[in-house]
Amino acid sequence: MMAETQLAILFTSIALVVIGLYAAIFVDNIIKKIIGISFIEEGANLFIVGIGYKAGGIVPILMPNMNTTWFASNASYPLPYGLVLTSIVIGASTLAVMLSLVMVLYKKYGTLSTKEMLADTSKQEEYNE
Amino acid sequence: MNELIPLMVIVPMMAALLLSAFSKFNKVIKCLALVVGICLPIIPLASNYGLHFFGGYQPIMDNVTNVIYHPAITYSFDFMQQIFIAMIGLLTFLVIFIYLTKYKKASGSYLFLLFMGTAAVTALILTDDIFHMFVFFEILALAQVGIVAASSIDYSYEMALKYMILGAIGSPMMLLGIGFLLAMTGTVNVTDIVSIIRGGLLDVTSPVFLLSLGLIFFGWLYASGLPPFHTIKSGIYSKAEPHGAALLQSFTVISMISIVLIMFRIYSTLPIFEVLVVFFSVVAMILGVSMALTQTDFRRMIGFLAVGELGFIGLGIGLGTQYALTAGLFQALNEIVITALLFIGFGAIVHATNEVDTRKLGGLLAYHPKVGIMLLAGGLAMAGVPPLSGFQSKLMLVQASLSCGYPELSILAIMVSIATFVVFVKTFYSMFLSPKPHDLEVVDNEVPKAMVFAMAVLLIVIIALGIFPDVVTSGISNYVGGLLP
Repeated sequence: MMAETQLAILFTSIALVVIGLYAAIFVDNIIKKIIGISFIEEGANLFIVGIGYKAGGIVPILMPNMNTTWFASNASYPLPYGLVLTSIVIGASTLAVMLSLVMVLYKKYGTLSTKEMLADTSKQEEYNE
Repeated sequence: MNELIPLMVIVPMMAALLLSAFSKFNKVIKCLALVVGICLPIIPLASNYGLHFFGGYQPIMDNVTNVIYHPAITYSFDFMQQIFIAMIGLLTFLVIFIYLTKYKKASGSYLFLLFMGTAAVTALILTDDIFHMFVFFEILALAQVGIVAASSIDYSYEMALKYMILGAIGSPMMLLGIGFLLAMTGTVNVTDIVSIIRGGLLDVTSPVFLLSLGLIFFGWLYASGLPPFHTIKSGIYSKAEPHGAALLQSFTVISMISIVLIMFRIYSTLPIFEVLVVFFSVVAMILGVSMALTQTDFRRMIGFLAVGELGFIGLGIGLGTQYALTAGLFQALNEIVITALLFIGFGAIVHATNEVDTRKLGGLLAYHPKVGIMLLAGGLAMAGVPPLSGFQSKLMLVQASLSCGYPELSILAIMVSIATFVVFVKTFYSMFLSPKPHDLEVVDNEVPKAMVFAMAVLLIVIIALGIFPDVVTSGISNYVGGLLP
């Protein structure tokens, strides 16, 4: 049976992914697109955190005086947390690269609108100069 | 020596970090890049086949269920990995050689990206861990974006950002798919997941399992540049420096086969998996070659032809028999070499003329006969003309389609090969054989020797694989036999 908390996590992550997809596909402003992409990434991370959740469980750190059988049956599953930690670092790197590219493009076009960027091809020559 | 297995990833990664750190010392980074570049194809050839468990954590047997679990990240190294890693190492060396001879002042950051990309694809093909695959899939995407953005070609930043945004949608989808698999099996080790599935401990008809397939499949389509991502993939090839594009396409091919082989092991029990792979591959073949026909920018044309060739690889893997998988993987190996030759060759033409429009070129055979002949051989190999390597793999694919009972796929493969031939001959004629336009200025009569050397090496590989395909196919066939249920 899925715990209530786990169900709440699942629905929240679905909402984050859907909102993020909407922003990434339909919103014109490139910064808002990137915020949407962050939503998708965080939705995926939240979902994986939810997998490791155990109702009434304890933090998965084995202390010296703990009974290992009791620990195994009560601790939450630690693998997803390790994975999410890595995924957050990757997400931050991706975000940094995207934002640095946006900075360059903003200097070139003077706008954050993707439609205006696509329409304005004359800026390339000015930028090259 | 199994200790060499992790070194295949660690060496390029450490080299990348050192090159970035010492980027101010031009001679140091040039020497270091060249030495590491030479080592890259040697390490896989010197290593023994086997498994490597990170941290030394050996597999554990569960006494209750008699199932073996892998607690550590595992690298699996066999003939297939050896030949692909050696080939990517050779190509990285050639690309670095071209880069170092082209520029007096080498950029540590650019060399960092080249080596980091190589490390990422090497890890992708070695890993037996689905989350590890995701991590290096992301690192590879970042390296690819960097290689495109670092080029001096117009609109490279725009193309890099587009690729990045699509990737940033594709990779969380893949992560979600991995999350679903983790939720169902409790592990991210592919061998463990496969043994859970084969042991009947997981309901493969459950919607969650199908959903995980869909999500990981979406990420794979992005990584491999199959439709709907074919235009962006060919776009990044055309916006990168030609030698960078040669490496980028090899990254694409390796990431494509690495991810699809992992998916094959997990999802091959589902008939829908093979249908999906064949469907998208066929669409890629048709779209790739038909869009290549309409291009006037030859970099873009090669990009679309490369996407079409990816369809052949997918076709072999989608058919799912031992022979078809062998043919698909052999085709992947050939495509890496052939497309690299074409990108480097056309890069030499850009160097000589500063022109990429085939309508504005002509009569170049008189100026650059060596490049012309080697490009012709590469193009014929891509079209599947005997006795070159492309012919052998495409013949195997046609035979595999026939033996699986799909003659229509064989006919399609032959037709696409003919169309590839037409595209290439048309382009070759307009660039090399047609009269030279009056306004065309051949700015450099000398093509860089490093480019000619790289093309010659790749051409030797193409001819050798065409004459002795068994050297590779028998080893790949043995490896593939172990993957099948």
